[in-house]
Amino acid sequence: MLKYVARRILQMIPVFFGVTIVLFILRAPGVLPGDPIEMLTGDRVISETTYNQLVSKHGLDQPLTTQYVTYMKNLARGDLGQSYKKNRSVTEIFVEKYPYTARLALAAILIEVVIGIGVGIISAVKRYSFWDVAGTLSTSILVSLPVFWLGMLMQILFGVYFKKWGLPYLPISGMGNPPDLAHLILPAITLASVSTAYVARIMRSQMIDVSQQDYIRTAEAKGLSGGAVVRRHSLKNALIPVVTFIGIDLGAMLAGAILTETVFNWPGIGYEIYLAIIARDWPIVTGGVVIVVIAYMFINLLVDISYAFLDPRIRYGGEAA
Amino acid sequence: MSNRFRSTIAIVLAIALVASLAALGGCTNSEDNTEGTTGDTEGAVKGGTLSQFIVEPFAITPTLAYESEGIYIVSALFDSLVEYDPITSEIGPAAAESWSANEDASVWTFKIRQGAKFHNGTEVKAGDFKYAWERMLDPEMASEISYHLLSVKGATEMLDGAATELEGVKALDDYTLEVTLVEPYPDFELVVGHPCLGPLPKDAVEADPKFDENLVGNGPFKMAEPWAHDQYVKVVRNDDYYGDEPNVDGIEFKIFKDAETAFLEFEAGNLDFTEIPAGRLGDVTAKYGASPDGYTGNPDEQVLTGPELGIYYANINNTKPPFDNVKVREAICLAINRQAISDALFDGSRKPADSVSPAGILGYEPGMWPESRYDVAAAKDALEAAGYPGGEGFPTIKLLFNSGSYHDQVWQLVQADLKTIGINSELESVEWAVYKDKLKKKEFDIARYGWVYDYPIMENALYALFYSTSADNQSYYASAEYDAQVKKARNTLDLQERLAGMRDAEKILGKDMPVAPIMFYSHFDLTSSRVNNFRYSPMNIPDYSHCWIAE
Amino acid sequence: MSNSDHKHKIDLEQIAETVEEQVAYGLEIQGPVRPTRTLWRDTLRRLRKNKLAVVGLIWISLVVVMAVTADLWVTPLLGDPIALDTTKVAEQRLKPPSWEHPFGTDNLGRDVAARVVYGAQVSLRVGILAVAISVFLGLFFGAIAGFYGGLSDTLVMRLADVFFAFPYILFAIAMIAILGPSETNVFIAIGILGWPSIARVFRSSILSVKENEYVDAARALGASDVRILSRHILPNAAAPIIVYATMSIGGAILSEAALSFLGMGVQLPQPSWGNMLADARSMMVVAPWLMIWPGFAILTTVLAFVLMGDGLRDALDVKMKD
Repeated sequence: MLKYVARRILQMIPVFFGVTIVLFILRAPGVLPGDPIEMLTGDRVISETTYNQLVSKHGLDQPLTTQYVTYMKNLARGDLGQSYKKNRSVTEIFVEKYPYTARLALAAILIEVVIGIGVGIISAVKRYSFWDVAGTLSTSILVSLPVFWLGMLMQILFGVYFKKWGLPYLPISGMGNPPDLAHLILPAITLASVSTAYVARIMRSQMIDVSQQDYIRTAEAKGLSGGAVVRRHSLKNALIPVVTFIGIDLGAMLAGAILTETVFNWPGIGYEIYLAIIARDWPIVTGGVVIVVIAYMFINLLVDISYAFLDPRIRYGGEAA
Repeated sequence: MSNRFRSTIAIVLAIALVASLAALGGCTNSEDNTEGTTGDTEGAVKGGTLSQFIVEPFAITPTLAYESEGIYIVSALFDSLVEYDPITSEIGPAAAESWSANEDASVWTFKIRQGAKFHNGTEVKAGDFKYAWERMLDPEMASEISYHLLSVKGATEMLDGAATELEGVKALDDYTLEVTLVEPYPDFELVVGHPCLGPLPKDAVEADPKFDENLVGNGPFKMAEPWAHDQYVKVVRNDDYYGDEPNVDGIEFKIFKDAETAFLEFEAGNLDFTEIPAGRLGDVTAKYGASPDGYTGNPDEQVLTGPELGIYYANINNTKPPFDNVKVREAICLAINRQAISDALFDGSRKPADSVSPAGILGYEPGMWPESRYDVAAAKDALEAAGYPGGEGFPTIKLLFNSGSYHDQVWQLVQADLKTIGINSELESVEWAVYKDKLKKKEFDIARYGWVYDYPIMENALYALFYSTSADNQSYYASAEYDAQVKKARNTLDLQERLAGMRDAEKILGKDMPVAPIMFYSHFDLTSSRVNNFRYSPMNIPDYSHCWIAE
Repeated sequence: MSNSDHKHKIDLEQIAETVEEQVAYGLEIQGPVRPTRTLWRDTLRRLRKNKLAVVGLIWISLVVVMAVTADLWVTPLLGDPIALDTTKVAEQRLKPPSWEHPFGTDNLGRDVAARVVYGAQVSLRVGILAVAISVFLGLFFGAIAGFYGGLSDTLVMRLADVFFAFPYILFAIAMIAILGPSETNVFIAIGILGWPSIARVFRSSILSVKENEYVDAARALGASDVRILSRHILPNAAAPIIVYATMSIGGAILSEAALSFLGMGVQLPQPSWGNMLADARSMMVVAPWLMIWPGFAILTTVLAFVLMGDGLRDALDVKMKD
């Protein structure tokens, strides 16, 4: 097991360097059109003197390789650099933003777990019933919905029209001040929509698969009631891929949710990184993606390790690539 | 043009005339004769927090703020030497009680108000202005708005790192600030009215490494807590303020990603002041009522559409054939249906531009650009005269703009207009970074361009946008005749002569048509039904002191 | 699928890297069976019995026919989707649905129905071309990884990991920023970002059949690598790749819509469902029809591809057949 973990961590290293190199290629002059320093002003054009001052202030007069080495050295010390555009340190920006993103992601995961698994179980247990068909069809619809459209539809219905009709309505943007639950509802549903559908689909097919396995048939033959079979056997085994999915989905959600954040004005890191790409604010882009990728890889690792505990059939040999 | 508007100009003219003549004569203004207006404050009540939409600003410190959202906050927290009247843009005293200039307007002396205090209780002194201005010019700060001070002697040296002190600014004593300029500049008194040229308390700045996010100013409001990035900036009433005490307890600048979301929040009843999305004026006005003067918001008179000092135009690349041909530029100028753009996107509220200088500015006169009008037949003739009858042989051109906002709608309309006279074009909607890059590298045919005035003077745009060596001249127009005329007008002492000189310069532009003016900006904003006497100036600075909230 | 903000990188195949693991989880969606004529006929028969898949297929055909024939009937019947008469914009804009304009008119007075139909052209082009690029690159890299193994396998799989580790939409945005926003660049970017999934599917297929006797036999007879791959391995791996590609078309359509919604996609005045939704956002309260129809078009078209993909998967699923 330890050997496996060590090997997985070793595997992460080239991926991590690959990602940082890609990020620095983006910075290279001529790759992306647009000059980060010119971006610092509005319609006004920056003066030559100020331009040069800003270039040297942000170290952009160094060769790209030197910039990369400096960056990696600083990164090793936990220093992500200073934003060009924001006059703040990148660490500070993400320390502030990460909890907002995590808040939204966890709320979405909660919806995914409760509704996704629930719908999946009902569909599988009542296979071919009305509920199964309804469940399958609605999950297909959910995976086909553009999330930003779903968000817009909910905003107009629950925010604008409900208010117009004198019904209890929901806030449609921001986190609330101080942050509250009401502001979380619509963005969390929007963000969770697609994943919930996936969870339900995986759950259903796993339950059906597992129920066709011999040991479940044996259990049934031994006279265990349907409910008990579901509880004791199918559920546990069917859950493994679902847990995997949710784990990795959490990793992806912690990378921020640009579309949901855009529609709901949520101050998360996805939109932050998106704006930084637009503004060519490389320290934020690089720092943000580095954080996100580390989180993603770490959660992936945890998921993989958790297999071993959940499913004794899996052994990690040295062979798997 | 409406009567209201004409009378506004008349008032501006008259008052500015008096003020300038007084200043030039060497006598001093006193507080009494230039008392700013406060609007209709009958029935004003105290209390309540005003909430206003902004997008996340780059900076809220006067040293660095360049966008309007940053300047809103700066203007609430700081008082400059003089201030502009929220409706007429006429200047009156603020941190300076009075001021005067020498014979040729190259040395200015400001008398600082005694007893006025910073939010931390220390008194505002002449040296605090010198400190703030030097901070703006400090190469370490690399402030993009240091251009405000370039007319001051020694500013360029400081920016270049050749000097550590601003030679032209002296605190003769605690209450006397003397400013020496590079050359005579009679409009300098208007420059120092910019909200970002207020004083800074040196001790507080040096004590707090995060000062720029938790500011200490001298204005009617003070920070309630440090800037909560991407969420809000909260300011509260400064009870120690020397001037009229604000009615509202405070202002919450709520940060949204875009005006669309903010507008939804407004409709949900959670904002007091926001922008109207393009194309929505008609239904919004029907619902909330128009403000009679276009600048003052009151219940049921909530829609503000007063003209701003700003212009939106088609920036033509004067260095690139076939646009180096004045007849081609003339054809483009004549082809654009400006009224249709205004009608379609702004319900007719934005005035079609007939020059670069907007109709609301001192010295404007209609007809300075005879060809800045919509005339398809004349446009076709001009194109033919240029050697492209019916557009034959004319290359397919690109219309460049930064994506977002209403630009894509405007340029789809311009594209259709150009097609009518036989010019085929493609839209090139790019990110801001790419847009700026292409302008700088002259890699464009025609580009969207906008200009909002820093000070209410014609010269602000005429010099910056068209003087051949100005950094902001991105149509790359270069005319020795024009340069000489602008420079001459700029240094002219007599106000009327100066304005006439500026008009002559503008007429040279009208003849050369380096760009195609499209429309003058106007407010497109909305106040909530609980807000009274909220005045939003043509320079986009709200008057937070005299509005009140009635629940 | 890339519907959500984050790409769902973990299509089932990816949870487990090796075939053995896939079998262990019951994730295997294909078997090493040579698709013969009988198999395809069987598949078709089973597909026909799947009502949802048939509905999907009919809808896709309908959209394709409408998009392909658009030039013939849209302008005379509904109005020009792009051209504008600036003198008439003010009176024609934002008209609610009527007989003349069944979906209403947009902010500049153009017929929304006409724009939705032309938007279908964009969505189908982007969807199909993007997936074609993904499949091409995926087969190439999957073959290198699965067939040769060793160092090339490691390199390809680590490269795929880099692609997976990057947040999907951000990667797409960065690519569009490099290439410049245009329809062509949108499908190129989406296509390039899609290869790792296909490569993984193909790689596991190769691993599962590589050691089979007929492959050995072919090798013993001196068949070239390319021949073995194209004649013996590819046909066996075709089923999962077809299923995956069908579903990916829906995903690519959603990605195009998302990028255009963010202003990084198809350029105006060319209509795309995504940029129509971006336009509709500020008009949401006064002109809800502007956002209803493009969204509905995306939903139904993507759904049709998903149902088709589901149907194909079930029909081709060898294990379930047994």
